[in-house]
Amino acid sequence: MSAASYAQIPPGTQIVIGRAARRRRVLERTICSVFEGWSYEEIIPPIFDYYDVFVKGMGTGPEEQIYRFIDREGNILALRPEFTSLVAKTVATRLASSPKPIRLYYSGEVLRFEKPKGGRQREFAQIGIEHYGASGKTADVEILLIAVETFQRLGIQAFQINLGSVDFFGGIVDRMELPADRIAELKDVLNVKDRSGLEALLERLPLGDRRKKILRAVPHLTGGKAVIAEARELVRNPRSVEALDHLEEIYSIFQRLDLAQHLTIDLGEIRGFDYYSGILFRAYVRDLGFEVASGGRYDGLSGAFGEDLPAVGFSFSVDRLEQIVTPEIAEVEAASIDVDDGFDEALQLRRSGKAVRLCL
Amino acid sequence: MLVIALCKGRFLEPSLDLLMQAGIRFPEDLASSRKLIFNSDDQRFRAVLVKPADVPTYVEYGAADAGIAGRDVVLESGADVLQPLDLKFGYCKIAVAGINGQAEEKPRVSEVEQNCDPHPARLQMTRPLPEGERDSKPTIRVATKYPHITMDYYNARGIPVEIIPLSGSIELAPLIGLADRIVDLVETGRTLKDNGLEIVEVITDSSARLLINRAGYQTKRDEVLRLIQALEKVIR
Repeated sequence: MSAASYAQIPPGTQIVIGRAARRRRVLERTICSVFEGWSYEEIIPPIFDYYDVFVKGMGTGPEEQIYRFIDREGNILALRPEFTSLVAKTVATRLASSPKPIRLYYSGEVLRFEKPKGGRQREFAQIGIEHYGASGKTADVEILLIAVETFQRLGIQAFQINLGSVDFFGGIVDRMELPADRIAELKDVLNVKDRSGLEALLERLPLGDRRKKILRAVPHLTGGKAVIAEARELVRNPRSVEALDHLEEIYSIFQRLDLAQHLTIDLGEIRGFDYYSGILFRAYVRDLGFEVASGGRYDGLSGAFGEDLPAVGFSFSVDRLEQIVTPEIAEVEAASIDVDDGFDEALQLRRSGKAVRLCL
Repeated sequence: MLVIALCKGRFLEPSLDLLMQAGIRFPEDLASSRKLIFNSDDQRFRAVLVKPADVPTYVEYGAADAGIAGRDVVLESGADVLQPLDLKFGYCKIAVAGINGQAEEKPRVSEVEQNCDPHPARLQMTRPLPEGERDSKPTIRVATKYPHITMDYYNARGIPVEIIPLSGSIELAPLIGLADRIVDLVETGRTLKDNGLEIVEVITDSSARLLINRAGYQTKRDEVLRLIQALEKVIR
């Protein structure tokens, strides 16, 4: 690289300096203190691990976003594209004999080779929690409440948590016995709520009218508790029905806690990493075009690393939060010290905890 | 107030017509004015006028809550946006075309269209290549305004291509030896015919779509759903 191009930084990286860096640390600290308040302990995983760890965790598709490299022994390593796989691996191995549940939080940068978008570069900061060892609604509600408190503590009032379940749609397609590429096509059109695309696809699928009716309804099953009742009219398979029962219980708890205004049931939401297995949610803030947090349940994930434990968690995108919250940073008064008189005065002030700025 | 991104150009008039039928009226001088931002008469909507290819970007970033753009533009942009409605105007095809008779044993266009799924959900179709394309050169040079769609189409078939990005008069490229094929919008097929070109294969159909920002769909759901329902009622 020639000296002239040192000014350039690789696309997708960024440098945070001074006040912006202090703001970021305050933001992170605020969020971590919420997690700590719910008895989560920090885990600091390595910035790289074996490539296989992430492929196992993220499944096929996102793997092309992983930055890979080969070490001197020929192992394929990868810069972490997310934390969940790393935590799952740690829980399933090093923490296998720890008492359950295990509550962990993380904060740090992840790297993905994708188009920088919505204030998120290729290197971006994630901060999130993982709850291991408890299935059922209590743990689900716990993490949702932590997400709610995080928004509140950041002073964000207009936020929406969209809650769905992979089991609702999963139960529907299980019964249809479609080949994998057809399911992928179906997910593609449902994913963008493309009605005409869905109609064209339904014409070609060997499905009965009742099933087609269900699929037509799926993209629009978004809203309050009424959506659950509406969905009950459509499905009979046990997997979908259980998912609805589960969502209804969670919604009722939110109603009782007077937080239901922040919760939207969204059964049409079917995106996400392959590892999700139960509830799935994304959080949005008014006037920001991208989600700021996402999470869900991934019971099978730690099993892939040798210890089968139910798990649920979420992560916030720090870079996107920074677009909507500007944390207050305290200005520290530093005494200007003339060094011509020697360093004694500066040292004295430092020993008494005062800030100094040496005049050169 | 919902912000709607509209394309300048041939989509503008039908877009405004449709919105008017749905009860959303913008000032009369919108099309002729040089202003780029207009509020609807009832102040419930704001239209922003942008280049067609930029509509998905405005919507994806949430700078506009909704937008109207061709499916071709959305596919090419790769933008992650909701596409709830086919607005049923601006029909055209995205097609591979070449010089008349140069694709040997090429199946007739009608046969190709019969085999072609009009609304493929994804572009990675695994249908075999048309007969005439099989023995073509090791690397085909393709001129196009749609480099991403073109790349996806040829990648799915394992054909190495060199993409030559152009921004207009694509039909010219094969005529003067710049490219072997073009991938372009075909409305009536007239331009192709006049230039001695013919369709080799239709990649996909396109028409105007309503685009909605994912976050806005959730955080402004009532307003967004009202817009979708109002438009749905007046689509032909």
